[in-house]
Amino acid sequence: MPAFRLFSWFILRSLRQDPLRSMTTGVGIALGVAVIVAIQLTNASSVAGFRTALDTISGRTSLEIVATGLGIDERRLVELMWLRDFGAVSPVVEGEMAVREANGPRKRLRVLGIDILRDRPFREYQLLDWSGASPEPRPQEFLDLLVDPGSAILAAKFASPRGLAVGSTLEVLVGDRRAALKVRGLLRDEGPARVLDGRFVLMDIAGAQQLLDRYGRVDRIDLRIPQGGDVSSAQARIAARLPSGLTVRRPAQRGEQVEQMLAAFHLNLTALSYVALLVGLFLVYNTVSVSVLSRWSEIGTLRAIGVSKAGVRGLFLGEAAVLSLVGATVGLFLGRLLADATVALTATAVSAIYIATAAAPPALQTWHVALAFGSAVPLALLAALVPAQEAATIPPAVALRGADQVDRHTRVSRRHLWVPGVLLGAAIWFATRGPVNGLPLFGYASALATVFGVSFLVPLILLAAVRGLVSTARRWLKVEDWLAVTNLSAAVPRLSISVAALAVSLSMMVAIAVMVGSFRETVAYWIGQTLQADLFVSPGTGRSPAAGEILSTELPALIAGSPGVTAVDRYRAIDVPYRDTVIRVGSGDFSVVLGHGSLLFKAPADARERMRAAIGENAVVVSEAFSLKQQHGIGDVIELPTDRGREPFTIAAIYYDYSSDRGVVMLDRTVFERHFDDRSTSGITVYLQDGIDPEEARARLLREIGDRHEVFINTNRSLRIEVLRIFDSTFAITYALELIAIIVAISGVSGTLLTLVLERERELMILRLVGTERRQIRRMVVGEAIIIGAISHGLGLIVGLALSLLLIFVVNVQSFGWTIQFHWPIAFIIQSTLLILIATALAGLYPAYRASRLTMVHEE
Amino acid sequence: MRRPLRAHFRSACGLAAALAVGSRLCVVPGQASQSGTTTAGTGASTWRQAAPGRPIVLPADHASHPEYKLEWWYYTGNLDGADGARYGFQMTFFRVGVDPAPKNRSRWAVRDLIMTHVAITDVRGRRYLYAERLNRPGLGWAGADTERYRVWNEEWEASLQGATHHLKAAAVSVGDRPLSFSLDLTLAETQPPALHGDAGYSRKGSDPGNASHYYSLTRMPTRGSLTIDGRTFAVTGLSWMDHEFGTSFLETGQIGWDWFAIQLADGRSLMLYRFRRSDGTKDPRSSGTVIDAAGRATPVGFEAVTLTPGRAWISTASTAPYPVAWRVSLPRERLDLTVDAVLDNQELRTAESTGVAYWEGTVDVRGTADGRPITGRGYLEMTGYSGQAMANYLR
Repeated sequence: MPAFRLFSWFILRSLRQDPLRSMTTGVGIALGVAVIVAIQLTNASSVAGFRTALDTISGRTSLEIVATGLGIDERRLVELMWLRDFGAVSPVVEGEMAVREANGPRKRLRVLGIDILRDRPFREYQLLDWSGASPEPRPQEFLDLLVDPGSAILAAKFASPRGLAVGSTLEVLVGDRRAALKVRGLLRDEGPARVLDGRFVLMDIAGAQQLLDRYGRVDRIDLRIPQGGDVSSAQARIAARLPSGLTVRRPAQRGEQVEQMLAAFHLNLTALSYVALLVGLFLVYNTVSVSVLSRWSEIGTLRAIGVSKAGVRGLFLGEAAVLSLVGATVGLFLGRLLADATVALTATAVSAIYIATAAAPPALQTWHVALAFGSAVPLALLAALVPAQEAATIPPAVALRGADQVDRHTRVSRRHLWVPGVLLGAAIWFATRGPVNGLPLFGYASALATVFGVSFLVPLILLAAVRGLVSTARRWLKVEDWLAVTNLSAAVPRLSISVAALAVSLSMMVAIAVMVGSFRETVAYWIGQTLQADLFVSPGTGRSPAAGEILSTELPALIAGSPGVTAVDRYRAIDVPYRDTVIRVGSGDFSVVLGHGSLLFKAPADARERMRAAIGENAVVVSEAFSLKQQHGIGDVIELPTDRGREPFTIAAIYYDYSSDRGVVMLDRTVFERHFDDRSTSGITVYLQDGIDPEEARARLLREIGDRHEVFINTNRSLRIEVLRIFDSTFAITYALELIAIIVAISGVSGTLLTLVLERERELMILRLVGTERRQIRRMVVGEAIIIGAISHGLGLIVGLALSLLLIFVVNVQSFGWTIQFHWPIAFIIQSTLLILIATALAGLYPAYRASRLTMVHEE
Repeated sequence: MRRPLRAHFRSACGLAAALAVGSRLCVVPGQASQSGTTTAGTGASTWRQAAPGRPIVLPADHASHPEYKLEWWYYTGNLDGADGARYGFQMTFFRVGVDPAPKNRSRWAVRDLIMTHVAITDVRGRRYLYAERLNRPGLGWAGADTERYRVWNEEWEASLQGATHHLKAAAVSVGDRPLSFSLDLTLAETQPPALHGDAGYSRKGSDPGNASHYYSLTRMPTRGSLTIDGRTFAVTGLSWMDHEFGTSFLETGQIGWDWFAIQLADGRSLMLYRFRRSDGTKDPRSSGTVIDAAGRATPVGFEAVTLTPGRAWISTASTAPYPVAWRVSLPRERLDLTVDAVLDNQELRTAESTGVAYWEGTVDVRGTADGRPITGRGYLEMTGYSGQAMANYLR
């Protein structure tokens, strides 16, 4: 018989005949693959979004000269005339502003300010409705469009749907200032106009400085080495010649920086995404097991008519291959669909913590296909190997006897305890290792080792649990429950895999829930300790303003002078390159911060005194994330790029900060102003006199500020709510991924029970014959399901708590540099236990129905 | 006195007009009278108009006059290498006002632009190399000083030390075969300036404000070096400098002009030009100046000059047909001359800055003066031959 026909009859037909089981498995694999693909697309989108923005804005720039986070003092350009020897030079001012959409949230617009006379070699601007003969206007024609203050050229993609045309006025918000731009031209969807989905504004460099209030500064100097020039050698020669405080780099390095910033976040998502696939593989094991069991005698027949062991093994591996191929194919496309949702879910996290990008998942690429099939198929084959091997060892004689006649006693052996022993030992060792390249790779290895180690222990645990249940719960059990328990204890080897699958996914869920719950409690405590001010004023442009988005200079005095205000603290935050990443340098009035106790210190014990002593000195207080990620402790001297060049600062204290994992270095305002030529204000914290109602004070301040400025004023209360809202939305993706893994796992329970039912066909028939009612059979099977659920969840809770410790104290610290206080999630444990019991009971319904129906068939 | 309209202004203003696509950098005559004269300096909100009675005082007036909208310093010259090879050069700085008082306090705010054209004709190598630059002064990458004479565009520069003008520029030529070239020349001021019009007040239209202040140094002994494609040549020769500033002087209806700067071997210099009008009529503003060997300038009217185009050379790049040979006669001066391009292709196409193509090149002059043979050298400028583009720019 040709192998394919045999396969077709024996495997494919049976898959068709049991569509529910086939589908459950297929869907399980598809979901697993879909999650992996979706997360890869999501991760790619946040970096790709930034890179695309970078590429479209950078154009043909070969190198860029940058300084501190404040940009370059433009007077230094005079001493940089020699840059011309290397190629074309174009100074650039970049910034952000917001437009209010009709009945929608504000949208960010990217402003690019250039000298068009110099910028031509760098970027392409294709004007729509350009009447000239050339596709692009000549630079001076372009300049003529931009030279009037407030002149701007918009992307047609943005302007046209909003009814903006040449001659229109666009109302924008820059920081807290309202401004009106005159639309002087529209750009085709080419070059920089593609950035942020067309949310791009081209201005003259002078106009951009005026609009963004960035007089005297350019953000960078773009340099284009002529074609065929050696960029690396030019970079080296320029670096050697640049004055202190200026750096030359390739534009792509900004992309690499962002990738570095996002690496830990991405790795965590990737790790999480594999949980669903792992669980899906347990499903493959189940399905093939069921397949083997239901055809026990047929396999015997095949063996009897001369099909080799390898042939039988091949048949069932083929089944796994078919399931995984179909699952991976479906999963691939499902993943692309899912990516839209996951990108949306992570967008908040990515933009709140890191960068604003136009989040849209990229197209599927060859490597995604390779990833889908490369993950699913080999692992599915591996999962199927055990049952396939089992099938291969069925003696031909079985054909004469029947499946359940085969002796399948408990084969749990203590001899193999060394396997979990080694794994768990390794897990502990891994947990004590440091990060690799800033990533908690050993942490994940530890988690994986823990999970597999415990999985190997599941048969023993299961046996012990069932026996324990028998001895303790005997008197309360009805006869069918009793049957359920004994059935289970007989089926321990078979069940182990299902229980392990469910327990693994539940443990992950528990671990993440405990970690997130603890994290949330920690953040809530931190907010309570540090959010001391009564009101928080920020520019109207958005929640997390970019460094360029500042408050007008008159606001601090206006607010300080308002009745009922006792103190204000102007806060300034800028992004500063540090080593291979970007950190935040903040400045505030240390004495106000100390006076109101709005920092929660980690070290040293006398942090407050140290901070007071830091006032006026070249000393800084740094966030925990900065200290952990950059490996700096109290007393260490760090070098920061300032407007005076690289300057040393001593770390005076370390404080807890959960607002960003990028690391913050805080300077007293006087020190900041000594080193940076910047007097801007990013935000103002306001302290009120006792007894003043914050809401009333807020309303009064808004009245006093009036229409001249647009600001957000949060009360202490609303900001707390806001912080927790952002926190929750950041972890939404985590829950979503976990839910998928649990759905897969529970369908696995259903599949396992089905296996058990099939295995016990004859027993069930006898039960019916001796008068057991169908209802009792159902109750028995459902009971089995609940017991499985209970044991799995119990195991999941224990392993999950262990994993949560790993997440909290190893993975999270190494990824993000946050200390999280462990909190017992009592409510979660109770809720999840109930939910899992109900869910597993529901999962038992179909096998129960099959079991009761089975007996009827045999009666007839 | 006839208006000694210096033809060159038209080339510059034409280019300036092109620079702004005729929008506002070159004010049309009708608007000129409305703006009137304002106080000088950068604080004024309008450009000052040229007016009679303003004396030209050197060297102070070599420097920039930012209160006027348009200003240029125009150098051309014929040079000889030590080995007998012949070269021509052109170096022009334009300052084109955009907004006399920008409301934006950014250092990048555009008050005026500096545009520079530089060209070398290598006669032996039959090469014409040119390059251009356009910059806003911004942080001093380009500019024109007011205290002393120095105008620059990045490292291209014209400046004055004592009575010596110093020109330097290094560039890569525009065109299919880019070649590096540079010039480093010193030009001596040996004569008083030739003041055009009424002591340097050069009226151009019915409106008195439609005028410019302008003078020329027509014979400046020159020495220095040229570098072409890495090879440096010591050179000596004779250069011609023009400096003109004003605010509005463009006439409408002109499609282009032909301009001659001739240095005769007998020490006389001729500056002649004619407008070509779109309706084909002869433009009454065509005229010129004769400068004698002592540097005294005498205006000549258009009726006293006959300019006859001869052989045409057609540019393959712009398809413009340029008459590269001319017959020039001034019966009253008893001059009968032929002017021939030393090299046909001396077309400068300003793709980057203005998009205008014009022919500006070194010429040989032969003929008779008072019946006796005479020779000379000079520069010829021809604009408005590239057809539609020029008409568009001039409106």
